[in-house]
Amino acid sequence: MSSSRRRAVYLVRMTLRLLLLLLLATPAPAALRFVAELDGLDAAERAFTRELTRAAQVSLPPQLKAQLDVAVSLTWSAGLPAGVSGRATAGGRLQLDRRLLQQRDQALALRTLLHEVMHLYDRLGPPARLRWYCGARLQTQGAVGLPAGCRGQGERRFRLSDDPRLLDLAGWPQRVASRGEREAANDQVLRSPDRYELDSPAEFVAVNTEYFLLDPDYACRRPALHAYFSRHFDGWSPPAAPCDDKYPYLNAATGPDQPVVGWLDPQRIYAVHYLLAEPNDDWASRWGHSMLRLVVCAPGRPRGPDCLLDLDQHLVLSFRAFVEDVQLSHWDGLVGNYPSRLFMLPLAQVVDEYTKLELRALRSVPLQLSREQIAGVAQQAARLHWSYDGRYYFVGNNCAVETLKLLRTGTDSPTLIDLDSQTPIGLLQLLQARGMADARVLDDPQEALRLGYRFDSYAERYQQVFATLQTRLGLPADGVEQWLDLSPAERRPWIATADLRASAGLLLLEQAAVRRELLVAQQSLKLRYLGGGAEAAMREAGDLVGRLLLVRGFLSRPADLLPEGYGLPQAREWQMLEARSRQRGEALLQMEARLDEVLPALLSDAQQARLQGGQANLQQLRERIKALRSES
Amino acid sequence: MKILSALATAGLLVVAGNAAASSFIGTTDTIGSSLANSVEGTSDASTGGNNKVVLQARDDAASFVASNGAIRGVQLEAALQHLRAQQPGLEASDMQLAEDILAQ
Repeated sequence: MSSSRRRAVYLVRMTLRLLLLLLLATPAPAALRFVAELDGLDAAERAFTRELTRAAQVSLPPQLKAQLDVAVSLTWSAGLPAGVSGRATAGGRLQLDRRLLQQRDQALALRTLLHEVMHLYDRLGPPARLRWYCGARLQTQGAVGLPAGCRGQGERRFRLSDDPRLLDLAGWPQRVASRGEREAANDQVLRSPDRYELDSPAEFVAVNTEYFLLDPDYACRRPALHAYFSRHFDGWSPPAAPCDDKYPYLNAATGPDQPVVGWLDPQRIYAVHYLLAEPNDDWASRWGHSMLRLVVCAPGRPRGPDCLLDLDQHLVLSFRAFVEDVQLSHWDGLVGNYPSRLFMLPLAQVVDEYTKLELRALRSVPLQLSREQIAGVAQQAARLHWSYDGRYYFVGNNCAVETLKLLRTGTDSPTLIDLDSQTPIGLLQLLQARGMADARVLDDPQEALRLGYRFDSYAERYQQVFATLQTRLGLPADGVEQWLDLSPAERRPWIATADLRASAGLLLLEQAAVRRELLVAQQSLKLRYLGGGAEAAMREAGDLVGRLLLVRGFLSRPADLLPEGYGLPQAREWQMLEARSRQRGEALLQMEARLDEVLPALLSDAQQARLQGGQANLQQLRERIKALRSES
Repeated sequence: MKILSALATAGLLVVAGNAAASSFIGTTDTIGSSLANSVEGTSDASTGGNNKVVLQARDDAASFVASNGAIRGVQLEAALQHLRAQQPGLEASDMQLAEDILAQ
């Protein structure tokens, strides 16, 4: 080898080393850059374009700019279809509508540019580690044996828009019993900032990142999504407004003493319970009913077990079909003709309803959740309450499925990723098997009753109380049913001589009698109404009830009260919310008052007599109890 | 006539079979309680000084008294605790307090 040749090799080696050093020493540049086509633009248009790309560079997350390490070509196009203001081509070029340039609409141009850049970023594909690991597992094990953490990860193609967590938050939940397959439609349609987001998960990501990057309110209006994007961008987020610490909701219980607007404060929630109404023989409830109970502490009480007794603060989250019709149809329930909505109800009301009217017991089983997960459930409940209007299917999207989805999205717990159940009891069993629900609190039935882990059906109490009364007083009946079948007048003679303990028992049974009478009366009225050919007063009552049901709808679809704004309502919307809901609440009460005037005449004389007789017995019993108590 | 209001609302709209279709609004969930309340008389109860916790415990109190203490529901438990917290020196037994609540 000649010396000149040797020197050349030496030089090449040195140069390579230097280059390597340079590469190592130079910090990674913020690599995304825009190459705007400026030919044919006048000076002002060029300035507008330069300002636009500069603003985009300022607005975009550093992590995104580093990873989207390309020169993006940007052109102003006159050829985009009407209504389309930008496009990211498959080749990675950006086209913006020329009219944005002509109108000098810097804000809209920036929004459009960020939207399209986000499409490019999304197309970078999923994080490599997940793709390799879960892709390989999917190929070797198939969907059936896939680890939970790989569900929905193995065949991903996008950076964000097919991330299971994003899809949960956005409103494309897993379809039940389909191994992670997603629902095709997004039913979180209300209070949307831009309906285009519902078009596809890719558009959802692009639209929502516009708001994430540009709207200081986004953190408060869509807190879970804000947190998701921020975490994705390595903890980065643009400056945001401080958020209120409570969420407004509409109380689905109505009455003169019930405030229409309630406030949900995640900080005051001690625990979340899975609340199961046990099944009965009726066809619509033979599976039981799934709900969640928020154990909310009284104001000022530190979070702890004592909050279990703050019953008047506890809130129940219950997904129900919203039936606007007088007659519930099995068929409509099967084919999804009823809206599925999230109702928020005071616990006491739910307990009364099930245990005293439907005579069903409730189980309230604590869920093992972290503070963060509890807050997440409350947040997701608020989000659904304000945005969700789904379809209720007896099979496929019933209360158990809805409750599971709420829990899965709210807690983001790995335990729930691949958990599937269509029945309320089945869901509880799975939650127990995976250690998320702790049913040991039910082991001692009496203690469970005392602490509110179990609410017994009043049917059990009636049996017990009747047995005692029969022994002590010798009531002329063989069982509760027979006692309730007697006329009020036949039951009355026992009141005058009863002691305090017997009076308490008779009171419970008399209440049962009146409730049963009411149910019978309402059923006969309904049948007469549906049978057609009813008298004018019946028609009017029927129409009133129909209107009442319709008006009541706003309680489960509060978004209708606040057409402005998106996501969770912010403090400046609260006043309007309270005014409008008060108005609707008063209208409801007025309609009920009108029904009061119409209905009595529709009952048969015998029905009226039994109802009034029962009421008279109740009155007499209360007076007797007061008298006995004041004597003692 | 509170009872008629409850009946009115519950009257015509309740669903197939009987009143027990728990997943359905328009059945018992918004209406049931007013109906139940009309029986208990809690809606018109304005007994001075007593709060919701105590009023809501009246059926539990009746069960407790009628069963001689065997049925002890959580609403009664909450009311007892509330009353004892309000009057720390209270010497009454649970049964006596339950009778008081019942007599409200």
